[in-house]
Amino acid sequence: MEAHPVDGVARLRAQTRAAALWQRLRQRAMTTPGKLALVSTLVVAGALCFGVVATLAARSRADAAKAARTQTEPLLVQAVTLYGSLSDANATATTTFLTGGLEPPQRRSHYLRDLRLATGSLTTLTGEVSGSSEARVAVRTIGDQLPVYSGLVESARANNLQGFPVGAAYLRRASTLLTGKILPAANRLYTIEATRLGDDYRRGTSNGPLLAVAIAIALSLVTLIAAQIYVARVSRRILNVWMLLATLVILGVSVWAVVGLVGERNALIRAQRNGSDSVEVLTASRVLLSRAQSDQSLTLVSRGSDAISPADFDNVMTVLSPRGGMIGEVAPLAARAGRGQDAQRLAQEFADYRAQASRVIQVQKSGRIPEAIHLAVADAASPSSPAARLSFDLAAQTNAAQARFESQASDAASALSGLDIAIPALAVAAAILALVGLRHRASEYR
Amino acid sequence: MRRRLRQLLWVVAAAAAITGCGSTSDRPLRITLAALATKPAAASPSSPAQPQPRCSHLTASLRAPAVMPTPGAMPKGSFMKRIQRRHYLLAGVDQNTFLFGYFNPEHGRSEGFEIDLLRQIAKAIFGSPRAIQFRAVTPAQRIAAVQSGSVDIVADAVTITCERRQQVDFSTVYFDAGQKVLVPSNSTARSVKDLGGKRVCAAVGSTTIATLMTLTPRPIPYGVPQRTDCLVALQQGLVDAISSDDSILLGFEAQDPNTKIVGGQIAAEPYGMAISKAHPEFVRFVNGVLARMRADGSWRRLYAHWLGKATDAKTPAPPTAQYVR
Repeated sequence: MEAHPVDGVARLRAQTRAAALWQRLRQRAMTTPGKLALVSTLVVAGALCFGVVATLAARSRADAAKAARTQTEPLLVQAVTLYGSLSDANATATTTFLTGGLEPPQRRSHYLRDLRLATGSLTTLTGEVSGSSEARVAVRTIGDQLPVYSGLVESARANNLQGFPVGAAYLRRASTLLTGKILPAANRLYTIEATRLGDDYRRGTSNGPLLAVAIAIALSLVTLIAAQIYVARVSRRILNVWMLLATLVILGVSVWAVVGLVGERNALIRAQRNGSDSVEVLTASRVLLSRAQSDQSLTLVSRGSDAISPADFDNVMTVLSPRGGMIGEVAPLAARAGRGQDAQRLAQEFADYRAQASRVIQVQKSGRIPEAIHLAVADAASPSSPAARLSFDLAAQTNAAQARFESQASDAASALSGLDIAIPALAVAAAILALVGLRHRASEYR
Repeated sequence: MRRRLRQLLWVVAAAAAITGCGSTSDRPLRITLAALATKPAAASPSSPAQPQPRCSHLTASLRAPAVMPTPGAMPKGSFMKRIQRRHYLLAGVDQNTFLFGYFNPEHGRSEGFEIDLLRQIAKAIFGSPRAIQFRAVTPAQRIAAVQSGSVDIVADAVTITCERRQQVDFSTVYFDAGQKVLVPSNSTARSVKDLGGKRVCAAVGSTTIATLMTLTPRPIPYGVPQRTDCLVALQQGLVDAISSDDSILLGFEAQDPNTKIVGGQIAAEPYGMAISKAHPEFVRFVNGVLARMRADGSWRRLYAHWLGKATDAKTPAPPTAQYVR
């Protein structure tokens, strides 16, 4: 295509104008005031770049720490409560069934309290999980199946009260529904929330923001110091008070930012290592203990004609075992938080529980089923039984670990408080101070 | 330029030194989730129904001894003597068959027609009907329990079949049961012929499922691990009917007044007590106890006590004993 002659002329003119402008700028830059203006621009850019980078870094870390403390962890607590109380409800329902017609009122209220806790957590989670479709499906499954479960448990009770063996079949069906559908959904919710907390930890402790801040600090200090050296050479004065002040301001806010970021990171690491790690392992132990209790009760409810529950009981006890199992995992975690004696007590309580459980199994296997039921019922009714003590202690230690998490996570968030305002404000102040210092020199050339 | 680089390295090194004091880890969560993923133990798959072998004199058992030994003084070297030395008879029973053989939670012990029969055997050995321990066995494990010797005898509504007779010995028939069907009382079905294509519940491992497969029109069998699970399935509307022996269905009817037994016997189910083939003298002994109960009216008394209420029918005569020559 042929170029229009007028276009060609216009372009030539524009090029000439741009070349002339560039020429003027170069000439100005060669002069001392021009060089000073260039240095001013660089110094201001350096300070502002530091301000932007450090603010963003502090904000991203603070967001993660805050999310962990105020959003993710509370939801994880709800998921833990849901999972734990559903498991405990089944353990309670199955052991209470064994007592036959006259169930102790405190066992009944224990079961009802578990259901109440579970529905409470479910309600909270329903409002909060709108983001993830997997979580929505899980919440829905529990919401749909929980009434069916409690209906089956009530049918089991009603038949059991009349001495009808079909009650045991209802209880088996209830338990199968819980372990086959409801608990897997609770497990999914728990996994989602625990994974989210892990993501917050990673975000809140990643080295990226700290490295970016270090580079920004270095750049801004280098430009400031280089500017001062240049100015000192040109003006033959060693000290420029304004620029020195700007350097000190940048240095001060840098130290604050680094201390804050490192402090936040360390507090968040402590929150995980001393707090939520224990919460996770203790929760799993509690859920598995309930499963073992349900298995044992169901074995007795079916009068030994159930081959699945005893096999599952053996599996679960292996997974719980203090040697290489979950109870064994509690010890190093508790030792980190300085609660070694708690872990020792837990291991002892577990040993007591296992001894008591194997006594019942031995009696049951020898065919003396009424005697085995009698033993198990006496055990379930007593608040000082090994199972009750272990279950209670697991819940108490979970709460303690929870509190450790909360205090450390709140330290993490407060380590960064004020920085989001201080960094931009002081970076701008440093830029202004440096500009004032450079202006003083430039004015000498007027 | 070099100075700038050095300064930068300094800051980075300092930052690394301060922050290198720990890190986050996924390990606790990983092992937690792995522990929670422990799979529930799986139920063993049910074996498909085998063609039934045929045999003559199905219900014929070993003849009772002419003179029964005195209770508490069993003959030397006999299996009864070994039981006596143990101080109790070990019997495999179903503890969930209402009125026939079940665990009464109110009384905290096993009760029912079969339980009282077994107590009579204990009484014949020890002189006391209380010298007995019951071990629950499922239909799937009861034959193996006798073969392995983990129980002395099984009275658990075991139908005498040619196949089972190859594995264990049976006593003379102590109850003439018949396979029937139980339906909700509002069902229009009058017999098993009206249940073609319908879901009919039965326990896995029992003869019932095998019989259901031979019927025309053929119902859809619905297998459950334990017999009582069938009543739950019916009450929950998961099945249209339950097929089982009338002895068991009578107990279901007693537990749920909204059900009824319909039709005649689909198959005769003569019950015998299963005893290991290693102890023919014990089979003869048990037959002797049963013969006495048939003769002195105690069989009728037990029937009336446990099953009379449920059936409203007249107490039938005890099943006739048949012996091998």
